[in-house]
Amino acid sequence: MNQNKSYFFQSWLIVVIAIASFIGFKTFLPRKLFPDTTANSKNVVVDSLMLEAVAEGGNLSDEDTLTNKTISFVSNPLGIKFSSEKFEQYKGYQYLIPFFEKLYQLETSKKGKARIAYFGDSMTDGDMIVQDVRTQFQSVFGGEGVGFVNITSESAGSRGSILHEFSSNWKAQSYLKTKSPLRSFGVNGSVFFAKDTVNATWVKYKAGRNRFATTLNNPTLFYGSSKNRKASLRQIFGKDTVYKKLNPISMLNTTQVADNVKNVKVNFINADSIPFYGFNFDNGKGIHVDNFSSRGNSGLPLGSLNVDLMNAFQQKLGYDLIILQFGTNVLNYGSLNYSWYERKMTSVVKHIKECFPGAAILIITTADKSTKYDMEMKSDSAVSPLVLAQKRYAVKAEAGLVNLYTLMGGDGSMVKWVENVPARANKDYTHFNHRGAKEIAQLIYKQIDTGYQEYKKLRALAKKKAKPKAVVNDSVPVVNDTVNE
Amino acid sequence: MLQEWFYKNIGKVTPEVVEKWFVYNEKEPLLFNTGLFLGLFLVFYFWYILLRKANTLRMIYVIIFSLFFYYKSSGIYFLLLLGSAVVDYNLGNLVHRTSSVLNKKLCLTFSIILNLGFLGYFKYSNFLIDTWNQISQGNLKGFDVILPVGISFYTFQSISYIIEVYRKEIEPTKRFVDYLFFVSFFPQLVAGPIVRAKDFLPQIYQKLNVTQDDINRAFLLIIGGLIKKTVISDYISLNFVDRVFDLPNSYTPFENLMASYGYTIQIYCDFSGYSDMAIGVALLLGFKLPTNFRSPYKSTSITDFWRRWHISLSTWLKDFLYISVGGNRYGTFAGFLFPGLFFVGLIIWGISFSATSTIPLLIAVASTVIFAFTFLFSKEKEKTMYTNVNLMTTMLLGGLWHGASLRFIIWGALHGMALAVHKIFLEYYPPAKRKIFFITPFLKFFAIVVTFHFVAFCWIFFRAKDFTTALQIIQNIGKVTFDFNQWLTITQGYQNVFVLMFLGYFWHYIPEKVTVAIQNVFKAMPLITRAIVLGLVFWLVFATASAGPQPFIYFQF
Repeated sequence: MNQNKSYFFQSWLIVVIAIASFIGFKTFLPRKLFPDTTANSKNVVVDSLMLEAVAEGGNLSDEDTLTNKTISFVSNPLGIKFSSEKFEQYKGYQYLIPFFEKLYQLETSKKGKARIAYFGDSMTDGDMIVQDVRTQFQSVFGGEGVGFVNITSESAGSRGSILHEFSSNWKAQSYLKTKSPLRSFGVNGSVFFAKDTVNATWVKYKAGRNRFATTLNNPTLFYGSSKNRKASLRQIFGKDTVYKKLNPISMLNTTQVADNVKNVKVNFINADSIPFYGFNFDNGKGIHVDNFSSRGNSGLPLGSLNVDLMNAFQQKLGYDLIILQFGTNVLNYGSLNYSWYERKMTSVVKHIKECFPGAAILIITTADKSTKYDMEMKSDSAVSPLVLAQKRYAVKAEAGLVNLYTLMGGDGSMVKWVENVPARANKDYTHFNHRGAKEIAQLIYKQIDTGYQEYKKLRALAKKKAKPKAVVNDSVPVVNDTVNE
Repeated sequence: MLQEWFYKNIGKVTPEVVEKWFVYNEKEPLLFNTGLFLGLFLVFYFWYILLRKANTLRMIYVIIFSLFFYYKSSGIYFLLLLGSAVVDYNLGNLVHRTSSVLNKKLCLTFSIILNLGFLGYFKYSNFLIDTWNQISQGNLKGFDVILPVGISFYTFQSISYIIEVYRKEIEPTKRFVDYLFFVSFFPQLVAGPIVRAKDFLPQIYQKLNVTQDDINRAFLLIIGGLIKKTVISDYISLNFVDRVFDLPNSYTPFENLMASYGYTIQIYCDFSGYSDMAIGVALLLGFKLPTNFRSPYKSTSITDFWRRWHISLSTWLKDFLYISVGGNRYGTFAGFLFPGLFFVGLIIWGISFSATSTIPLLIAVASTVIFAFTFLFSKEKEKTMYTNVNLMTTMLLGGLWHGASLRFIIWGALHGMALAVHKIFLEYYPPAKRKIFFITPFLKFFAIVVTFHFVAFCWIFFRAKDFTTALQIIQNIGKVTFDFNQWLTITQGYQNVFVLMFLGYFWHYIPEKVTVAIQNVFKAMPLITRAIVLGLVFWLVFATASAGPQPFIYFQF
């Protein structure tokens, strides 16, 4: 009887002492069993340029001259000017005018074509987000095809918009890891070589099931110059084997391998020393969006694109808009000072403008990302300083801006996206899943479209004014007066 | 001074914080591995001990705590628990009292329909509507319901009570309070084990009693459960398994394989860990709940597996579903209905894909034929057919019990098929035939490996969010090639995860003798040392839980 009582109290006492000792342990044992380490080995994809930039440090913080400032724009030659914006809400539609004008021509005359290069990191891997942006654009402005696709890709398996396979004997160099490539990187930031003389070197594409991408439209190979004159492509159509000679004479060459097909397999024969870049799939009209995602990319490697080669790409493909969606990979490095990133990216954007003359630039900021603080998942403290830095270089480099962080809900939003039923983001609290990616694409498209609709109004207004030049009308502000000095 | 200490170690106590302790929050159920439960339990337990001799008062006290516990995780639905208890208690009495067999049957049927009706409404209505919409291209709107936590568990407990009363295996409880105590008993309320009325009710009427050994066992179970659930399962799922299952194609084949092994140990640690904690907490209160897991991955066959995995569920299903549809003696309409539907559905599915690929049809026909062979080749065809069909029914519905989705049905079907196949195998190769003295250990080892891999394979369907994802993972695993350097790099990248996985498996496979020896060391410790060990485990749980998710790693080879 007594025994029984004592056992109950013993057990209670154990709980009490355990709690007391736990509080003790908590104070002098480490708070975290597994420290948050950043894995680093030669096989982990990280951006070497960024690591260097981080190592260099760079706490030279610029004077904060932008916050609270109003940004006004200079009207374009047509006299179109978007109204001034507070830095806080900066969108920079003014800088997207060349692209908007292209859209306008497409929409009204149903002629011509427009093209977007969408650079990104693992967020857009497997054509996530980009495929939905592409479908949105193509459903309004026409166009078919998935655009430019690499020769090989580490994320080919996760891509559904085109099924992509390749032999394992390609030599690939990417601007993420290679400082001095054998030949300049292509527009996709990669260059590929077929070196194997024993085994077949091949690449295979099959159309996926996405809207406007159910066939492979005019698959065309892009490759650089070489002294090799023996190279050819071998394809098998039914019982026929077809050879196509490659002609690597110019800086950038193209060879179309088929018309509209469901799938295509190309063998590369005697193709050593030729730099290959990838295949383009488009139907030659409407709008096309190329996805240039590379896992681990911080955006800095874009600075190493070769201007001459890019100009050649620009001639052939004609980009009207360059989208840069980066940030995730610069969040994990401890420092909250992103002035180094701001500075480097400002010059990257300038470089991009040289590479693709005439194209508008759109910066998409990092999305929200969560980290555990005191047992609770919250927005990482680095997110908002990074967004600020991205906004600043967008303004400085005269680029448009989509603030993805605020668009998706701002502070604490990633936690909501992950916990949403059904989930919209993955448990790493960084990447969106397919459902979330679709929504993100809609948000991005909606903002671009808002700018475009506004542009159309401004354009109509400017046209009206441009005609009766002599008449001075007090009620309409004269274009010249509003030019910012 | 004291205030400062309190603030530093426990946190600031404001009225809002206190309110949060007691108000329902969908996102923060009162789990055993939370600090809040620990704090509440400390206070609850103290009064429980003081009240241990005042039987009725103590029971009411526990009921109130249990209802609060349930309210914390399911909000207003604690009323559902209360309401269904009132009905079931009265129906149980009716079944017992009425002498007419017809009335007994009516009451029983009514009670089962009512219980399954609630379960069906909350758990399966939207699944059925979705399925209907898909088949008929219809556009019926789903119900806006949330699933009350643990409804699958307490529904089964209520059903076990009324059937046992009907089968005269037990007497109904003397008072409503007794019944409510049984149904709402918080340790096993939300995640099992499913306690059988005949095991539990007698304990209510006994004098409350714990021995030194009970207390030790209770703390060992709680310690083991905490480590399995919080340290191993939660960590590897958040930092590895979930990611791969979210987007399998973004990972290398080796990572896919490891995620599949990872999930196999994760689900065991999660489920058995929580069960162990429940059993431990109940034991601290002086109640003995049945063992729920006995090292299931040590099974030498799939039949053996089901005697070791979630035992309270498998015995429940055996006693109340398998036996009810005929067991190994006869066939019933209900027994044939579900396997019939399943195989017909399978073949229709195969045919509908035959235009694009013949593989689905091949799979469908092959599985139907294999299932038929399991009784056609038997010496007692008819009896074996009943047995296998009834087994299949049990596994199909057992699969569905885990969640309203096709993938659980497939998981159940795979297990049902395997059980049937194992039966026919046993008929041709009974264990006696296989006893060759020096090969036996190797055979046993081989059998364990095969069984483990079959179970792990089935878990892929259980875990993947849809059929396509499951197939992607299987396809990726098919591409695994041995590449030591690649494996090493990946292992280094996921160092913590892989260490924990290894620990989980190691713990699972060490001989029982070793476990018992370690437990004896704990039991021999003085009270204060045992308490400090427990405190250390609390810290371990805390330190694992406060580690943020590991940053994302992409490998390139």
